[in-house]
Amino acid sequence: MHQQRPRENVLHGIDSGTETISGKPVPVALKKSKTAGKQRTENVNHVQKTVTKSSWLKSKSLRENLAGYGFISPWLIGFFLLTAGPLLFSLIVSFSDYNITSEMTFTGLDNYKKMFTADDLFWTSLWNTLYFVLFSVPLTTAGAIFIAVLLNSKIKGMKIFRTIYYLPAVLSGVAVYFLWMQLLSPGTGLINLVLSWVGVEGPAWLFDPNWTKPALIFMKLWSVGGGMLLYLASLQGVSNTLYEAADLDGANIFQKFFHITLPMITPIIFFDIITSTIGAFQIFQEAYVMTKDGDGGPAHSLLFYNLHMWNNAFEVFDMGYASAMAWMLFIIIMILTAFNLKFSKRWVHYEGGDNK
Amino acid sequence: MKKKKTLSLLLSLIMLFSLILAGCSGQNSSGSAEDSGGKVTLKFWSFWGSETRRPVIEKMIDDYNKSQDKVVVKHTFVPWGDIWTKNLAAVAAGNPADVVVTDINDVSHRAKNNQSTDLSQYFDDNMKDRFYPHLWETVLYDGKPYAAPFNTDTRLLYYNKKAFKEAGLDPNKPPTTWKELEEYAKKLDVKKGSTYERIGFYPLWGGYGAPSWMRNADEGKNFLEGNKIAIDTPAKADALSWLADWKKRYGKKTIEKWDAEFANGQTNPFVAEKVAMYTDTGTFYTQIRDSGKDLDFGVAPIPAYKEGGRNWSDGGGFVLEVPKGSKHPKEAADFIKYMTDVKAQKYWAEKNYDNVANKEAAESAAKGMDGQEKMVYQASIDNLKDTQLAPIPIQYPDFMSRINPQIDAVMLGKAKAKDALKKAEADVKKIKRK
Repeated sequence: MHQQRPRENVLHGIDSGTETISGKPVPVALKKSKTAGKQRTENVNHVQKTVTKSSWLKSKSLRENLAGYGFISPWLIGFFLLTAGPLLFSLIVSFSDYNITSEMTFTGLDNYKKMFTADDLFWTSLWNTLYFVLFSVPLTTAGAIFIAVLLNSKIKGMKIFRTIYYLPAVLSGVAVYFLWMQLLSPGTGLINLVLSWVGVEGPAWLFDPNWTKPALIFMKLWSVGGGMLLYLASLQGVSNTLYEAADLDGANIFQKFFHITLPMITPIIFFDIITSTIGAFQIFQEAYVMTKDGDGGPAHSLLFYNLHMWNNAFEVFDMGYASAMAWMLFIIIMILTAFNLKFSKRWVHYEGGDNK
Repeated sequence: MKKKKTLSLLLSLIMLFSLILAGCSGQNSSGSAEDSGGKVTLKFWSFWGSETRRPVIEKMIDDYNKSQDKVVVKHTFVPWGDIWTKNLAAVAAGNPADVVVTDINDVSHRAKNNQSTDLSQYFDDNMKDRFYPHLWETVLYDGKPYAAPFNTDTRLLYYNKKAFKEAGLDPNKPPTTWKELEEYAKKLDVKKGSTYERIGFYPLWGGYGAPSWMRNADEGKNFLEGNKIAIDTPAKADALSWLADWKKRYGKKTIEKWDAEFANGQTNPFVAEKVAMYTDTGTFYTQIRDSGKDLDFGVAPIPAYKEGGRNWSDGGGFVLEVPKGSKHPKEAADFIKYMTDVKAQKYWAEKNYDNVANKEAAESAAKGMDGQEKMVYQASIDNLKDTQLAPIPIQYPDFMSRINPQIDAVMLGKAKAKDALKKAEADVKKIKRK
């Protein structure tokens, strides 16, 4: 439940985005706040003498604006005091050889140059991360939709099934990784035991560089319950009249799924893909916990981008380089998200919008 | 109405301020710990918080506090994963502890980066005589001490005497060379069908990893001596292919299976008598002792690469350091002198069964022991003469991250040792720091 709420807000954000395109409420609000801002600066600069203090306070739009800022002030204070400063600092540091105590010399683009020329592990880590993103995002999305569709049918005791499938999403963190290390153990692990029942000799999973990343993706698939819940909610919002109309036209179950269900939940799919892509790019804990000393696993097969960055920052204290890496990741994710947003217009269907 | 508003505004302001004050209070109290009752308070950070280690270190501190009336040492336990990053943050913020336990291998890094205090003016010339020389050398930067060694360790070869007798080997003649190690291991293997019930020896299990074997072969020369590179050498390549041969002999499947089985550390393959010979530190004895099994075992130095070669071994250790910015460096140095003196060190050695940096304390601790306990401890002390540390070179702080994947590649049969080391050397050269 807790997880659902912020996501819903984002959904609303997407919805109101279409509203902007269709051109109604948002521009008005924008105008309002603009004039209010103007008014305030004017008040401060020139008119102050003539306008009495009480009338300054009486201006309704200004008061409303102040109240608005008051309400979002916890976030604003948090952002400016805790986030914006370090953010800016890391950008500055990424152009220096900062090491926390003794060095802070401006080195220009050296850190970025090193990334592309001298540091082979940068490419290894980028490749590992891309591999993980390319497989885990589509698989978890498809898996979540599949389970959500199954769990959307009306069968007795469905609530129990839903709970069971959602449970793994409740468990999280290091305990789960340790659990999976035991499950994936080549000799005594449950997974290879089950595989042996059907005559398959399981791989060494976390000890074989060819299988380490698939093992992690497999582990991620286990907890698709979180995404499943999101799809379940949107599936239940698909109007029954559409299915009834399709029934009248004699559509079969697959036609209904591909021509009604799937298009109707595309906004959620879109949202899920964007957030899980960002999440997948930031994979860190899994590799840090599940490899010996957090060194990136056999033959660096689990050296993900963030793990490499962390090693640079907190093992060898090359903060400048680590900051540069962080900004590079930001740029990569930014480009991908922008691409996603642009591309989305072709396949994401918003009900009620004119969909241009 | 208006009054109510002002009141609520006032209240929220008060709450805001109290929050800010609460945030500061932690700093205030620790910052003003200058003098309590005319005494100087020293802040001491260690990661020794376990049930066994904490009482020992606190008793030592207590003894020190009672031994004089000028300084009070306050111990703070900071968990292993946090202590050095926290220390760094505290140094950067200008409010560090006065004494911190840190890793011996990167003392020179902190000295160079202005994170620790030069202690040469507080230590007299005969200070160095109390320590094992290889430890003392490692705490020097530019010829000046930036820390004092506290404890250390060394790798030994443990062997199961019962298994030796079963295999027809003399239990008082452990292997002394790599060749003997191989011969003995073959005899000690117990195989049923296609699976091993007991493995004689596998060099990468225990505390002596691939880099250590390669160093052992190359006359004790590390990958980097200072900033001089010696990665792609014939002896190291030979050692690496020797390691890969072990894996080939037992089979990839067997090794991976056993690796995973013992990876969680709940059971030890040597204690469980699944492996007949095993490398680990002297302190490993306590694990054998506490297992409750009456294991009949012996210890020996790590076998030498060739007959007549030295039995090189690897070690690590921890030091006591005064972070830069400590307000009482003189008092901190006095405390360090006490902690590395015979009495305190002997107490640590006896209670923790740990190798200590003070020579005299180590010898006198061994004298008070008997039986297996004494055998292992004495062997570990004797082994220190062939033990080397692996100080992290200043210009290549993360050189191992370039060598490890190449070692992995050879162990997986994907590369030849010679080529892999050539690649590793080239990769390491690329990341040289100015």
